[in-house]
Amino acid sequence: MSSETSKMSAQGVQVYYGANHALKDVNVEILDKTVTAFIGPSGCGKSTFLRCLNRMNDTVASARVLGTILLEGEDIYDKRVDPVTLRAKVGMVFQKPNPFPKSIYENVAYGPRIHGLTRNKAELDEVVEQSLRKAALWNEVKDRLDAPGTGLSGGQQQRLCIARAIATSPEVLLMDEPCSALDPIATAQVEELIDELRSQFSVVIVTHSMQQAARVSQRTAFFHLGNLVEYGETGQIFTNPRDPRTESYITGRIG
Amino acid sequence: MQTEKHIVSAFDRDLEGVQATLMKMGGLVEAAILDAALALETRDAELAGRVRAGDAAIDALEEQVQTECARLIALRGPTASDLRTVLSVMRCAANLERCGDYAKNLAKRSLVLNGMMPIEGAPGSIRRMARAVVMLLKDALDAYIARDSVKAQDVRQRDREIDQMYNGLFREFLTHMLEDPRTITPAMHLHFIAKNIERVGDHATGIAEQVIYLVEGRIPDEERPKASGVAALTEASQTAPRSES
Repeated sequence: MSSETSKMSAQGVQVYYGANHALKDVNVEILDKTVTAFIGPSGCGKSTFLRCLNRMNDTVASARVLGTILLEGEDIYDKRVDPVTLRAKVGMVFQKPNPFPKSIYENVAYGPRIHGLTRNKAELDEVVEQSLRKAALWNEVKDRLDAPGTGLSGGQQQRLCIARAIATSPEVLLMDEPCSALDPIATAQVEELIDELRSQFSVVIVTHSMQQAARVSQRTAFFHLGNLVEYGETGQIFTNPRDPRTESYITGRIG
Repeated sequence: MQTEKHIVSAFDRDLEGVQATLMKMGGLVEAAILDAALALETRDAELAGRVRAGDAAIDALEEQVQTECARLIALRGPTASDLRTVLSVMRCAANLERCGDYAKNLAKRSLVLNGMMPIEGAPGSIRRMARAVVMLLKDALDAYIARDSVKAQDVRQRDREIDQMYNGLFREFLTHMLEDPRTITPAMHLHFIAKNIERVGDHATGIAEQVIYLVEGRIPDEERPKASGVAALTEASQTAPRSES
């Protein structure tokens, strides 16, 4: 089902936070139209690596990123690359839903507007509707687009943030524990959404729930102590992992 | 193979629990086969009756294994070697349950045979074959508990010896039937017994394959040596008429 073409390529990526060597020589190919899950214990480097993929680590003063990360063959750390434009192409959804304190409509319209992706109000309306539809939120909010985004339920807020992230037509969507603050029903809705988004983007998800990784991803990468220990097809990782550290982690033997 | 303990120790207790039930089942099945063969040789109707009645306990244990495994999957969400353990326990339990049925069938036929003309030497041969197959089954279960894939491979290879014993008995019974038609009924019963014991060997092999799956994460696909099947039987049945002429 998943594509075999590489969308993003990381080569020899190292990250230091000051003197702390947080990520050690990570090489990985993120495939196009595929959900890739990063799993591993807290502090293993999975979120750090996720943040390298859209240069979110630029905002951390002590962080130093070495190695190469390519998006469609282009180095995203090249001086000519504008990080803001990059983040429109490589969108992100965070652990806690963080809608802007604005209306539902304005939350979604914000990205397309600042990036100048639409020419008039009609086009913008269309982008907002399509994004909310893709995020499976349209039917619930179409009659109250002017209501504040913060007034929605937690699950709805997270889907609003997803709608906001996909409104700029990204090529890759990064999700850092997108369901950890949601109840099981909202989680299932977001997981269903991730599976649908896969037909259009690459999705990379960091999750502490291994069952979630198993449910939504086609590829799984296991990080431990800053190393990428094992990367492979999700079914293989969960039935017959090759590395004993992966085995220990997914069977609940090391924390 | 995984030897570390789970962080959640109840998980370890559950996994050990289902395997302990499986081994208990194995013990009952081994005893049932040996007792049934002994009852046949000694014409002991009382012992045969006990074997027949004992199959219910084996069936109950099989059900217990399946229920506990279903519960473990639902509550613990096992993965990797834990998942393979649960799946293999379920398959091995099914194998043992069938072996229990064969022991019960042997006991039943031994009661029928008690009322018939004995065939010289046959019950002794059956009992030797039963002992050999129980040894194979025991080794398969030992390999399971020890996670010993080398021993499991050995069990797969040795199943051929059981097949050869079956082919030998097949030929022997055929000879009896050709020489004296009065032996046809008891020889037919004895033949079914031999065939069923041969099937127990196949189930031991099935368990050995689960051991390899458990340890290596793959079901062995290499051809194993076989001395049963149509070709071997054709050869065996040709021997008898030739001795006639």
